[in-house]
Amino acid sequence: MLKTNTDNVVAAIKRVRLWYVALFVIFGLFGVRLFYLQVIRHNHYKAAALSGQLKQYEVPARRGMIYAKEGDVTVPIVLNQKLYTLYADPGYIKDADKAAAQVAQAVGGQASDYLPLIKAEDTRYSVLKKRLTETQKNKIAKLQQPGLGTVEQDYRTYPQGTLAAQLLGFVNEDGQGKYGLEQALNEELTGVPGELKAVTDSRGVPLAANSDNIERAPVNGKGIVLTVDVAMQQQLEAILKKGVENAKSEGGSALIMDANTGAIKAMANYPTYDPSNFGSVQDGSVFNNAAVSEPLEVGSVMKPLTAAAALNQGVVSANTCYYDPAKYKVDEFTITNIEEDGPAGNRCIKDILNLSLNTGATWLLMQMGDGQLNSKGRTAWHSYMTEHYLFGQTTGIEQGYEATGYVPDAEDNGAGINLTYANTTFGQAMTATPLQLGAALAAVVNGGTYYQPHLVAAKIDASGKQIEQKPIIKKTDVVSAQVSQQIISMMQYTVDNHSFSKKFDQSRYSVGGKTGTAQIAKPNGGYYEDEFNGTYVGFVGGDKPQYVIVVKISKAKNGGYAGTAAAQPVFGNLAHMLLNNFNVTPRN
Amino acid sequence: MRPRRPLPTRTQVLQAAAKAPAPNTRRHRPDYIILVLSCILLAIGLIVVYSISPGLAKLNNVSENFYVTHQLITIGLALVAFGIIAAVPYQRFASMYKPLGIAALIVTFVALIMPVNPAYPAHRWISLGTFSFQSVELVKFALLIYLAAFLSKRMQDGTVSDFKATLKPLGMIIVAVGIIIAGIQSDLGSTGVILAIMGTMVFVAGLPMKKVIIFGLVVALLASVAIVSTPYRRDRFATYLNPEADCQNAGYQACQALVAVGSGGMAGLGLGRSVQAYGYLPESQNDSIFAIYAEKFGFIGSIGLLGLYAVFFGRLKRIIERAPDNYSRLVVIGITAWLSVQSLINIGAMIGLLPLKGITLPFVSYGGTSVVFIMAALGMVFNISRYTAHTTPRITGDKKEGRANDHRTNGGRFRGAYHPNPGSRL
Repeated sequence: MLKTNTDNVVAAIKRVRLWYVALFVIFGLFGVRLFYLQVIRHNHYKAAALSGQLKQYEVPARRGMIYAKEGDVTVPIVLNQKLYTLYADPGYIKDADKAAAQVAQAVGGQASDYLPLIKAEDTRYSVLKKRLTETQKNKIAKLQQPGLGTVEQDYRTYPQGTLAAQLLGFVNEDGQGKYGLEQALNEELTGVPGELKAVTDSRGVPLAANSDNIERAPVNGKGIVLTVDVAMQQQLEAILKKGVENAKSEGGSALIMDANTGAIKAMANYPTYDPSNFGSVQDGSVFNNAAVSEPLEVGSVMKPLTAAAALNQGVVSANTCYYDPAKYKVDEFTITNIEEDGPAGNRCIKDILNLSLNTGATWLLMQMGDGQLNSKGRTAWHSYMTEHYLFGQTTGIEQGYEATGYVPDAEDNGAGINLTYANTTFGQAMTATPLQLGAALAAVVNGGTYYQPHLVAAKIDASGKQIEQKPIIKKTDVVSAQVSQQIISMMQYTVDNHSFSKKFDQSRYSVGGKTGTAQIAKPNGGYYEDEFNGTYVGFVGGDKPQYVIVVKISKAKNGGYAGTAAAQPVFGNLAHMLLNNFNVTPRN
Repeated sequence: MRPRRPLPTRTQVLQAAAKAPAPNTRRHRPDYIILVLSCILLAIGLIVVYSISPGLAKLNNVSENFYVTHQLITIGLALVAFGIIAAVPYQRFASMYKPLGIAALIVTFVALIMPVNPAYPAHRWISLGTFSFQSVELVKFALLIYLAAFLSKRMQDGTVSDFKATLKPLGMIIVAVGIIIAGIQSDLGSTGVILAIMGTMVFVAGLPMKKVIIFGLVVALLASVAIVSTPYRRDRFATYLNPEADCQNAGYQACQALVAVGSGGMAGLGLGRSVQAYGYLPESQNDSIFAIYAEKFGFIGSIGLLGLYAVFFGRLKRIIERAPDNYSRLVVIGITAWLSVQSLINIGAMIGLLPLKGITLPFVSYGGTSVVFIMAALGMVFNISRYTAHTTPRITGDKKEGRANDHRTNGGRFRGAYHPNPGSRL
């Protein structure tokens, strides 16, 4: 009995030991496996861990604000408002119906609107609603629903409403500046977003300080101080709107430029839009700052520039008179004047401007070619258009979608080139933007210096320091000082011989101008018979011109010549507005 | 029929007679070391749960101390269970297998009819407020005691290998476990642990090797059938074979466990530095706690923990070998099989050697029922350790002879510190 029991025990213990051998062998295997995973393959798993755990966040930089002048005071005209975008990370939402109902309750709207977004597949960032207020954001946070989150986003607000909308442009939902200044200076306004690489929990919430975290602070966008004067802009917009309406026109543009710096003091188009509600705009063309982005055949407003070119070349002098035949036959086509200009006869240079003689402008081109329409004259005039007045290229103003306009090549298109070039002398067969026209005229009347038209007076860097932007001279000696003075006089003479609702006192101020009634090219060649753009260029100042004004009224329908009937009154109102309200320095 | 053994020599007979344990060994000091070791393991678990508690609390929207408080309550309950069971002479339980078995059946039945949590659609739990009771833990405990009593009787009768007396009842138990636990409760992990407990006990009770092998083959066959017959198990098995092939879906937990273990490196990220616990690794306080531990404490810490388990199981072996009778020996080997196999299945899954089975790591995992029953079982071991012989019975063919020094002439208990050759003790 004892033996049997001992035998049992001995056998049992042998088996126990065998069993333990197996157990400890497995323990040993586990140890080896742990060594493999934790020591040999450590780098692999560390990388795998970080690829899942380390998330990269962009810390948005604040977009720079935009300021303008109000007299000598700088006032903000574009501000930022902090709102929130609500998003879902669908993978984390177990009960989509409940989450949709919660969202609807917290931020409004129907649960059924949010449900498909919450259930969206193949995304970890499904935007449910934009522009949440702080209160709505807090409501969402209180839900404590995993998979719902909000991100801060800056939205632009406009204390001045629609003022200078096309000049400013807007910022779309992705934070991209579109059109106008916002587009042109998008990079500087945006700044450099910061970066946060952080080890996070599975929901993306960064864990406290971890040696694998990387942080780079954002650099906020630069503030921009515009050259624009708020009061002048307001008045220009009002005058332009009235002018467009009086002319029964579909729209127009106007700008006021400092003749001696190229600074844009006011620039607008009508109709315009509300940048705080850009999403509701039906016709996208209203976003364009047409004064900068829509070149047109400018019409007779070109004539002062043609005259200046001829005078500056010395082929005519200011008091030169000539026999005007009232019609020129060029390349089987007849160039004529308007009826009021009467028959052939002796004319002088200032009459070419005052009476707006197409034949006179053509005659000026002929003088550039030793009395003929030829290659020499064309080449000379071409070089004035492109190298003195800088047509056919962008001015470099801080605006999106600036157009270059078009200047025909002096030796192009064979037989018709003389006709084409004759046309360019009175602003047809070439195109320019109102801005290009204004900048070129400023160069002619300020003594011959072409300043780059610009909108930015100063930039404010992240530290708050204002950096003044100096005017940039793009071309000197556009014309001589003498020619400049001669053109000023001729343009004053033109103003004096045209009727304005209120006369200008040329003894106290200098006010000069030139109308243009520009034919509108048909898309397939030729011109419309009954549609004209009314244009006007001019200046106001004291001893020397201070402001250059450009007006364009599209397809005016109030009768008469569009330049005189539609654009000239707008110029008159703008000129009086400047003289009355904006400290134009009178003559000594 | 027992296999024939060579006749002992005269010297062997004399020695055996001299060393044979007295049928009723005198009660002595229990083995406090197993209590100390298990408390260290409990403490490790508590520390890990404590350190990941804030993150878990945030993810599950409970108060920050929720997990630690629960674990502390659980450990308190577990220690009470330990104390109560340890105070009951182990022999009493031999006759309690019937009420225990009935209780286990009732609990299982209740678990089967309880409404289930949709997150875990298996009828395994009985919910009691914030605590839940896992029925299979009581089943294990009851089965273990029944088998110890049953098999020790068979050993005494010499009918361990008898089909009708032993194998048929065992087979019926296996079928019942297969149907209820593997089938209805879908708890393959616990089934494995129960089969391991039974297998080990039958093996130690002296089932002939041939039958052991047949038994093993049958179990392997049944396991294959279980895997192949159920699509979700097939998927799990495929995932097990290559977890990194599908890290986003089926292999997610296995992958994240490997990432946690592997990113721990040699020395670990540090106690407060675990990242995987923050929502990446599911069940990080419970089934996956070893991976979080390995992430925090690295290879050194992991080997340390394995070593701690090894020392603990080694200490149990000492009690098994010196057990006062076959019944207590079978109880302790059953408990050893339970705890060790459960540890191996759990850790094996975390290090990508075994498929994920959803069972806890003994002592360390957060989770009430498991800890309470483990400590209750240890209470029995503790009680048995009061009655152990002072030496291991001498085994034929044992190389380490001449253990005269193991006995004190004064009959005092052997104390480890005086051992002339500690390495010889397992």
